[in-house]
Amino acid sequence: MTKVLMKGNEALGEAAIRAGCVHFFGYPITPQTEVPEYLVKRLPEVGGVFVQAESEIASINMIYGAAGTGVKCLTSSSSPGISLMAEGLSYIAACELPCVLINIMRAGPGLGGILPAQSDYHQATRGHGHGDYQLIVLAPASVQEAVDLMMLAFDLSERYRNPVMVCADGMIGQMMEPVEFPTEGAGEPMAENEWALTGCEGRERRIVNSLYLSPEDLNEHNKKLKAKYDLIAEKETRHEVYGEHEGADILVVAFGTMARIVKSAIDDLQSEGVKVALFRPITLKPWPYKAGRATMDALAPDAPVLTVEMSMGQMIDDVRLCADGSRRHEFLGEAGGVVPSPEEVAAKIKSLL
Amino acid sequence: MGYIRIERAVCKGCGRCIVACPKDLIEFSDELNERGYQVVTYKGSPEECGGCTLCAVACPDLGIETWNNRGKQTFETTTGLTEKMTHYCPGCTHGVVHRVVGEVLSELGLVGRTIGVAPVGCSVLAYEYFNFDMFEAAHGRAPAVATGAKRARPNTIVFTYQGDGDLASIGGNEILHAANRGEKITVIFINNAIYGMTGGQMAPTTMPGQKTSTSPFGRDTEDTGMPIKVCELLAALQTPAYIARGSAHDSKHTVRLKKMIKTAFQHQAEGRCFSFVEVLSTCPTNWGVSPNEASDWVADAMMDYFPLGIIKEPAKEPKPAGAKA
Ligand SMILES: Cc1ncc(C[n+]2csc(CCOP(=O)(O)OP(=O)(O)O)c2C)c(N)n1
Repeated sequence: MTKVLMKGNEALGEAAIRAGCVHFFGYPITPQTEVPEYLVKRLPEVGGVFVQAESEIASINMIYGAAGTGVKCLTSSSSPGISLMAEGLSYIAACELPCVLINIMRAGPGLGGILPAQSDYHQATRGHGHGDYQLIVLAPASVQEAVDLMMLAFDLSERYRNPVMVCADGMIGQMMEPVEFPTEGAGEPMAENEWALTGCEGRERRIVNSLYLSPEDLNEHNKKLKAKYDLIAEKETRHEVYGEHEGADILVVAFGTMARIVKSAIDDLQSEGVKVALFRPITLKPWPYKAGRATMDALAPDAPVLTVEMSMGQMIDDVRLCADGSRRHEFLGEAGGVVPSPEEVAAKIKSLL
Repeated sequence: MGYIRIERAVCKGCGRCIVACPKDLIEFSDELNERGYQVVTYKGSPEECGGCTLCAVACPDLGIETWNNRGKQTFETTTGLTEKMTHYCPGCTHGVVHRVVGEVLSELGLVGRTIGVAPVGCSVLAYEYFNFDMFEAAHGRAPAVATGAKRARPNTIVFTYQGDGDLASIGGNEILHAANRGEKITVIFINNAIYGMTGGQMAPTTMPGQKTSTSPFGRDTEDTGMPIKVCELLAALQTPAYIARGSAHDSKHTVRLKKMIKTAFQHQAEGRCFSFVEVLSTCPTNWGVSPNEASDWVADAMMDYFPLGIIKEPAKEPKPAGAKA
C-alpha cells in the first residue's frame, strides 16, 4: 500500500470513511476545521451524509439520533465545543450507542487560544456530562497513529456500544505526515443489530431511552455499565514503552504530541548514557495502570517518575494513582499553546538525576 | 340505535365527554373506579345516541368507543398507541394529541416506518404510549435527534413531540435550525402555556398576566417579554414548510387538528418539506382549574393571541409538462 502525505485532520476524516463511517455532523471550530472541510467534499463520493449543525449541542444530539438508528457516525470538535457536548454524551453513553468523536484540543480555559494543548485531559477522561458513565479515549502521537486509532475507535465503539473519543492536540491535527491506510475505499457499514431504531415493521418495537423511574432498575443499569467499563479496562488498554526501562534512573510519562517531544529528548540523553525511558498511554481512558505499574516497578529503586504535559498537570493524577505511593513524582508542564521543547525536557530530566 | 362503551377502568373522571356530547347523554356516576376516579356513565335511553364520536374524540384516555345507528363502529382505539394507561392528569390534552398522532400514522399506514422522539416534559414517557420505535431525547434537543435519525434513515418517518418549555425555551435553537434546514421531519408542538412536569413554572408561551409558580403575580411582560408565537416565528423563515396551529381543547377543534396533523405527515411521507403543528393544550392541574374550565380558558384566553389555522404551506408543485389543465 502506498503512503500519502496528509494533514492530520484530513487523515482523520479519511480514516473514518475507511472505517465505514459515512455520516458526519459537526460545527466549525479551530483547530479541527479541516475535518469537516475534508469530509464535506469526500462524503458525497461515497454516498454519505454531511450536516453542518447549528451548534455542538445540536451536533452531538444529531449523533444521538443517527447512532440510535444503527449507523456509524462521527462528530469532530475542539475543547469549547466538547464542553457543549457534555449533556449529549451522557445520554449517548447511557443509551449505549456507538459513535466516535474527534477532539482536537486547544488551549483553555474560557475561549483560551487556538494553539495546541492537553488541558482537556480531565474533561476527556473524567469530565463532560453528568452521571456514572465513561468514554473510551484514544490519544495518537502521530498522523499515522491517528489513522490507526480512528479505525480502532469505530471497532471499539460498535463492539462495546459506547462513544469513543479520539483525543489529539492541534499539533497532530495540523501537521503533515506520510500515512498509509490499512483498507481501500469506504469500509463496511454497521452490522444489523437488535437495538437500532429503523421502523418496527415485522418486529417488536424498540426504544432508545435513558430514563429509569425505579431506583432499583437504574442501579442495575449502572452496574451493567460498570461491568462493561471494567471489561474494557481489562481488554482494551494500550500503551507504549520507549527506551530501556529495566533499571532506568527515571521514567517519563507523557501522551500525544508531548510524548513525541519526550522521545527526541530521550534519544539525545541516551547517547549521553542517561538511563531514561518513556511510558506513553495510548488509551487515556481506560488508563493502562497495570502496564504503567509494571514499568515503574522495574525502574531503579529510587528512580522518580516525571510527568510532562501541555497543561498545568492533569494526567499526573493518573500517574499518581498508578504508582500508588511507590514513587516520587515530578512534573513539567506549559500551557496556553506553549510546548516544552526537547531541550527543556532533557534539562528537567538531568536536574532530577 | 347507536351506543357508546365507556371503559370504566381507564376513566379519569375529567368530564370532557360530558361537555362534548351534543345531546347531553353522559353524566358522572356515583361510583369510583379502582384508581379512585369518579367515572362517567351513559344516562340517555338507547335510541338517543347516534354514535357521533364527539365524546370519544374528547377523551384523553382511550376510554370510549362508539357505534352508529346501523351498528357500525364509528370510533375504535387506534393501533398507533399501546394499551398502556397514561400517567397524565385528568383532562390533560397530551392524551388527546397522542391519540390523534397514533390514528393519523395508522390511517396513513406509516406505523411500521415511524421513529418518534419524545421530549423532556410531561410527555417524557410518550415512548411508553406510541406503538412504534421511539427515542427519548434530552430537554429541547429532539429536533437535532430527529435530524440525525432522518438523515441516517431517509425512508423512515421521523417526528418529535415537544412541550413549550422544551421547544420554545431550551430548544429554541434546535427547532429554528431544523426548520430552516428544511429537515423532512414532523414536529408536534404542545403549547399549554406552562411548564407542566416541573410543577407549573412560566413558559415562553405563558399568557400576559397568567399566574404561574415563577410569575406568582401574573406574567409581567415588561420584565419577561410577550408570549412567543412559534408558528409565526418559523413561518418567517424562507425555507418552504407546512406550519399550522390547531387546538385540542374540544372535539370540534380536535377533528380539525387531526386534518392538520395528517397533512403534516403526508408532506413528510412525500418528501416535500419540514412540517410543524402547534396544538393549544390544557394543563388543568397547573392552571389550577377543572378540566372543562381549562378547555374554556384555551378558547377564551389563548385563541385570540395564538390564532388557529394553516400559517404557511409549501408552494403547490407545478403540474408536470404535458399534463391536462
Ligand atoms: C437540561 C435540563 N434542564 C431542566 C430540566 C427540568 N425540566 C424537566 S421538564 C421541564 C419543563 C417542561 O415543560 P414543557 O416543555 O412545557 O412540557 P410540559 O411538561 O408542560 O408538557 C424542565 C424545565 C431538565 N430535565 N433538563
